[in-house]
This record gives sequence, structure tokens and C-alpha cells, in this order.
Amino acid sequence: MCDEETLAQMNGKYACPPDAGPAWREAMATGIDMSLIEHALTLTPEQRLAEHQQVIDFLSSLPGASLFHAAE
Amino acid sequence: MPQNDQALLTRLKENGLEFVVIGGVCVVYHGAPLATFDLDICCAFGEPNLRRIEAALRDLNPVHRLTPNKLPLELTPHLCASLKNLYLQTDLGKLDCLGEVAGIGDYDAVLKQSVVAQFSYGEFRFLTLDGLITAKQAAGRERDLAALRHLLAIKERISRGPNGPEPSP
Repeated sequence: MCDEETLAQMNGKYACPPDAGPAWREAMATGIDMSLIEHALTLTPEQRLAEHQQVIDFLSSLPGASLFHAAE
Repeated sequence: MPQNDQALLTRLKENGLEFVVIGGVCVVYHGAPLATFDLDICCAFGEPNLRRIEAALRDLNPVHRLTPNKLPLELTPHLCASLKNLYLQTDLGKLDCLGEVAGIGDYDAVLKQSVVAQFSYGEFRFLTLDGLITAKQAAGRERDLAALRHLLAIKERISRGPNGPEPSP
């Protein structure tokens, strides 16, 4: 058994750190996935760029990628 | 065409261009999980540097991507004297070279607000987090404001001290 809060987090609710400041909370309120930022901040800058490159490679491999680039 | 920022950065450096990475890749560098599909740099404009860019991209079929006919990058002294920015498409992806950054100024001003990043494939300069925030605030487009929300949250998280995640440079 787990409590409701834990269950909600399992279902995708972000657990905002209690010491989060106003900018963090404002970003969270606009719908930004703060867990992705938390993850990125655990990486070195080079790792962030490498991960970004993997995302770009994947997105570029999708069938609609050519349409996306044409629309840029 | 695939975007390969590492290869573009390496080519520019190998050809002697001094530049600062700005824009979306710099946003990623500082920890914002936002995908970007071009590489933006700021450098001093003038014929010597433009020739370095041309040399770095020579075998990559560079074209001015915003011109309707995708005009090839073929520099002349007159063109070099007239260009303030370059928006290029190459075989390694999009490369935008800017002579100025909104909110900060020309290359010398941008350089003063940059930090050296040491990667396994070389050293490169990136706009500082504060500089990037200033630039995004000045640009003010919707996509800049979205990035700005990320950056302000990251700045706050870093400034809140030792219990936070590993600091961003």
C-alpha cells in the first residue's frame, strides 16, 4: 500500500521540492516538466549536449521530420 | 538533413574562427530540456572571419537558407562588407552566425559574458546563464519566453545552494 501522494506521483504528479523558489514554481505552473530540468542539472554540459543530439537524431528519423524542418 | 552540432563546432574551431555559442544549444548547455534544430553562434563580422566560416563549410554545400533560391555561400569583398548575419543550411545542419546579440551587443560584448566549456572534442565558449537570460528577455518572442522560464528556474535552483543538484556553469 502507498499513500495518495505517492500514488499521484506514480501517476505523473511532480513532487515540487519544498525549498523551491518562485521562479521554479512559476515555471512548474506553466506546465514545464521540472523533472526534466532536474535530470539535466545532474548531467555535465557535454552530457546535456550529447543527450540533446540523441533527441535530434531521433526526431529527425521520424516520418514527419521533413515536414517539420520545412515549416521551421 | 541531420543536425550535427559537434561536427559544426569542431570545423569552425579548426578553421580558426573565434566565436561564442548562443541560442538554443546554449539553452541546452545550461540545462534546459528544449530541443533546437540549429546552431547559433556570435562572432565578429568582417572578411577574415567570414572567410574562415566559408573555409569551414566549403565541402558542406552551404547555402543562404532564407533566400528563396537557396543561394550558395559565395563570398566577395563587397558581400563581406555588407553582411551582418549569416543564416546557412549545410550538409551538417543549420548554422546561424550573428554579429550581435539582442540585449548584449556585438561580439566583444558577448565574449565578455561567455564561459569556456571543456568538452572531449575541444574547448568552446558559451554565453553565460545570466547573459543568455538577458538575451532571451531582449528577444521577447514566445519561444524565447518559454526558454526564459526554464533559465530563470535553473538560475534560481543553482543559486539556492548546496542542497540543489550539481551547479550549471
